[in-house]
Formats: sequence, structure tokens, C-alpha cells
Amino acid sequence: MLSQRLIGRTAVRSAFKPSGLPSVVGASRWGRTYATEAETRDLVIIGGGVAGYVAAIKAGQEGMKVTCIEKRGTLGGTCLNVGCIPSKSLLNNSHLYHQILHDSKHRGIEVGDVKLNLKQLMKAKEQSVSGLTKGVEFLFKKNGVEYLKGSGSFQDEHTVKVQLNDGGETSVKGKNILIATGSEASPFPGLEIDEKRVISSTGAIALEEVPKKLTVIGGGIIGLEMASVWSRLGSEVTVVEFLDQIGGPGMDTEIAKNIQKILKKQGIKFKTGTKVVNGEKGSDSVRLNVDSAKGGKPESLDADVVLVAIGRRPYTQGLGLENIGLELDERGRVIIDQEYRTKIPHIRCVGDVTFGPMLAHKAEEEAVAAIEYIKKGYGHVNYGCIPSVMYTFPEVAWVGQSEQDLKKAGVNYRVGTFPFSANSRAKTNLDTEGLVKMLADAETDRLLGIHIIGPNAGEMIAEGTLALEYGASSEDIARTCHAHPTLAEAFKEAAMATYSKPIHF
Amino acid sequence: MFATKVLRQAAAHAERTPSIRFIGKRTIPASIDHSPKPHPASPTGSLPPSFTNGSSHSSFSVYRDHAQQFGPLRKTIKADSGIGGVPGSYLGPVEPPKGVFFDRNDLPARFHRQPLTAAEIEAIETGGAALVA
Repeated sequence: MLSQRLIGRTAVRSAFKPSGLPSVVGASRWGRTYATEAETRDLVIIGGGVAGYVAAIKAGQEGMKVTCIEKRGTLGGTCLNVGCIPSKSLLNNSHLYHQILHDSKHRGIEVGDVKLNLKQLMKAKEQSVSGLTKGVEFLFKKNGVEYLKGSGSFQDEHTVKVQLNDGGETSVKGKNILIATGSEASPFPGLEIDEKRVISSTGAIALEEVPKKLTVIGGGIIGLEMASVWSRLGSEVTVVEFLDQIGGPGMDTEIAKNIQKILKKQGIKFKTGTKVVNGEKGSDSVRLNVDSAKGGKPESLDADVVLVAIGRRPYTQGLGLENIGLELDERGRVIIDQEYRTKIPHIRCVGDVTFGPMLAHKAEEEAVAAIEYIKKGYGHVNYGCIPSVMYTFPEVAWVGQSEQDLKKAGVNYRVGTFPFSANSRAKTNLDTEGLVKMLADAETDRLLGIHIIGPNAGEMIAEGTLALEYGASSEDIARTCHAHPTLAEAFKEAAMATYSKPIHF
Repeated sequence: MFATKVLRQAAAHAERTPSIRFIGKRTIPASIDHSPKPHPASPTGSLPPSFTNGSSHSSFSVYRDHAQQFGPLRKTIKADSGIGGVPGSYLGPVEPPKGVFFDRNDLPARFHRQPLTAAEIEAIETGGAALVA
């Protein structure tokens, strides 16, 4: 009798479960029995991007009760959904297409009619993205992370109100709260982004046809990667950059000049030191009025599509920071201390929404460190040793200081370079463009910066980052055996060139 | 003998010591200063005063507005917040004015007479016989 009653009561409770509830991974918040105060979680994370999901998994591994709130509907944030990952898929496949079309003949491979199937190219991209985002969801389950699909905003210092994607509202309390809301593309004043004619990086990875003419505002990493993709697929691409060099302010000037020459040979046009005054959107084209940054003859550029890639800005919209009195700095970043704490110590912040370079791997490092600070009181991120990679062909990668940084700081340094044209593997691959450049302290030989242009620069920079993290000298690298024939030998030879002389150049 | 010793010493000096060395297993430092300091990537290299005064709240009153204990603490008691929502002093004197008496039914329910059931009334009227009938 009693058991029958209990079953009946459970059934009634289930019947009253609100319909259309979000898919909640891990412990169910709807499974509670009577009307009790919501369980306080050890950690509530707002944002399921790279910073947020890594923090969630790490916290789960550390035995914390974690809730991660993400409004996109899929985990992984900008990086997995509309950033690093889809762009790499397009870069890789567009490179293959371009190589088959223009490069295979002199390698002794003759192919018939080569056609671009843009729809399939995009499908391949989407498959990579969905596979990876689902993988993160699986990792959430594996590590007991509760996943709420909705928009989180602070109600008070311990409570986050969640506007659920499927309708309805809930709130979640946390002993610790982590803000990991990331960033969004900065808009260009006066030029409204419609993701059709005027696009951001999100639109640039989802164009339905290859534009005849594409103008890119901003010659930073995102702008140049997208310029490469569409140029390889057949667009006439012009990059307009306000500064005198491409690649953004962090790239070594010598490297920037070098890659600009290489990309120019590939057919991309550059207008450096050029300011976009305004833009006019027509029915089927966009006109940009540009001017020399130092004052000069005005010019107009017409394009079918304009990509706005002038940088990214922190995303804190709708977060309810005003409810808890958290201030932002003049660039909209959440102000934190050395342990990622805001002025309210149990609320921490990592990733693009706070200080430091807006890079996914930097966000990951911070996420792990923030959890370690909460759990162990000690974490580690070396901000002097965060690599940057531009995935053009050849790739450009660097870590540490640039030559202009060292000159500005008045550091006495030595430079060693080694070109891939003198590397045996690069020769056999017929990919000889680029070089490895190393900068080391003139007195101690300690490595200060590594800059690479090369077909696998993004992979090779890992060795440089490790060396820099450990405080290696250029001689340490030079005396480490590298396999032959590999591109990595160029790295060793550049180190030899820094402390002594290279063998093969 | 002596010549060998000199040679060995010379060789030891000639041997190169790499900068990268195994420094042992990583351990958490014994003492860590957790006081707020500027983030290494902070462009200003400083923290706003709200970080450094030891508390994120300017006064105890502000702190109490934000404090949590089984939910937020209520500092301001409002009239519409039900029983206990209004302080007793606001409700006027407890004593009745002169010449006025409280009716028992004006008092809270616990002071009312206990209601009798029909069975009890019958039991009383029959001198208890109804209970055994």
C-alpha cells in the first residue's frame, strides 16, 4: 500500500516536470524530492567555450560539483564553433584544392578536371565541428559536469539566474563562480555586419558562394587566414591594414615583411598604412573609401563582400555585472588579480573576457590554473611564453619577444636565422619558403624569442615554447640531436646560427 | 698521477653544462602570498583600490546587503513581507486601552477554546455511557 502510494507520488511529481526542459548532463536538477533550497555547487561556470569547458572538466577531475552554463547550444565557444576549428578545416581543404589546381603538375601528378564543391567543403567543416563539440559534451558526462543550456546572469554574488534556451528560468548557486564568456568580433563603426555582404569571421567561414572580389579590413591573423582561404578558392582579395605591417602588432617586423611578400606572390593584394574612412553598402556590392593613414590620396575599393577583421572585444553583455558591482576596464575587460580573482574573491575570470592575448590555448592554461588556485592554492601560467600561430601557407608562428621588442627594451641580443631553402626535407617537399629566426641574450645565450615562417611552423613552435619555458640557451637546442631529414633540423640549425654557425648554410 | 689529476680537472671545466636541468619533482611552494596583486598581463600593472582595501565592500552595511546565509540576508524589513516582517514596536502597545477588554476570540487561535466534537458532547451528556454503547 505504502509503496503504491510512493509510486503514485513520484508519478505525480514526474507529471508536473516542466515540459521542454533543457538537456541537463550529469546530476539532474529536476530529480530533487521536496521543495528544498537548490544545492550550492562548488563551482558555477558562465560560458562553455574553451576557457569554460576546460575549467569545468578540470574541476570535475578535482572532485568538485560543477555546473557549466552555455547559451550557444553547443559547447566549445567561438573556437570550436565559429573560430579556430572551422577555419582550420577550410584552410586545410582550400590549400589542398589550390595545390591540386596549381602545384601538382610540376610534382609529376596530372589530374583531370578539378572542380570546387563549396557545399561539400562546408559540410566537411561542419562534420569536424560537430564531432569535436559532441566530444566535449561526452567529456562533461565523463567528469560529472552539469551542463545548462541557457544565458547566465548574476542575481547576486552567489546566485546565477539562467534563462533557459528551451524556455523557462532557473537559478544556480555557487561557492565559486567563474566568468568565461569570451569575446566577439569588434564591429566597424558605420558598417553594419549582415554576414552576407559585410561579414565578420563568423560569416567568412560560411559564405554560400566564392565572392568575385573580397576586401578584408584588418591584416591581422584572422584577416589573413580568411584572405588565404577565399583567395585559394578564386576570390580577388585585397587586405587593408591601418598599420605599416601585417600580422598584428606581436609579429616580428622582419617576419611580417617576409610573409607579406609570400602572400603577395600567392595573389593577395595589400594596402598597408591605409585607413578605411567609411563604407557604403549597395544592393550587390560594398564600396570602401580608404585613405593613407598618414594622409594621402583618397581611394575607393569595390567588393562583393567585405570582411571586418579589426579585432575582438570582450563579451559581457547580459551578464548582470551591475548587480554585483563588478567593474570593467576601459576596453571592457573584467579586472582580475594574479589568481584570476575579481574584487569579489570567490568570483574569478579567465579567457578572452579578461587580460592577455585572446588565444584559445591561453584561455585553456588559465582555466586549469584558476581551478588549481581554487583547489590547491597554486597555479601556473607563463604569459611570456604563449605561442601565436597564423595558419596561412606557409604558416607563421612565434613565441617570446620580437626583435623590435628587444630593441625597445634595450636588450643586448644575438640573432640566428636558417632558411628552409637550405633544409633537406623542405627541398624534397618542394616547400622551401620561410625561415627560422632565433633571438638570444648576447651575454647568457638564453633564448628570448623564436619566429618561424614555414610549412609546419605551428607544430615546430612547440619545441621553441618548451625551450623558452625551461629557460634554455640556443646552445641547448643546437646540441640536441634532431632527426634527419626533418624540417625540425632547420630549428636546430637556427640555434647553431645563434650561438655559433650553422652547418648547412 | 699528478698529470692525470690535472687532465681530469681540465676536462671537467671543458664539459658543457646545459641550461636545461632536471630540477626535481614539481611541488607547491610552502608559503604562498595570496594577497591580491596585479595580473601579469594587466596593461596598467595596478589594481583598483577596491581590490587592495581587503574587502570588496565599502562598509559593513554594504557587506550585509550582499552577505549570504541560506540565501541573501534581508536588511530592510518590509511591511508586506508577512508575519515577522514588521517589528513589534511598529504594531502599537500590547495592553488594551482603559475600559476595553480583549475578547478571547481576538487572541491568536492557540488561546481559543478547544472545539468539541459531536462524540465528546454525546459522551458528556450520557455520562460516558455513549463511549461503551
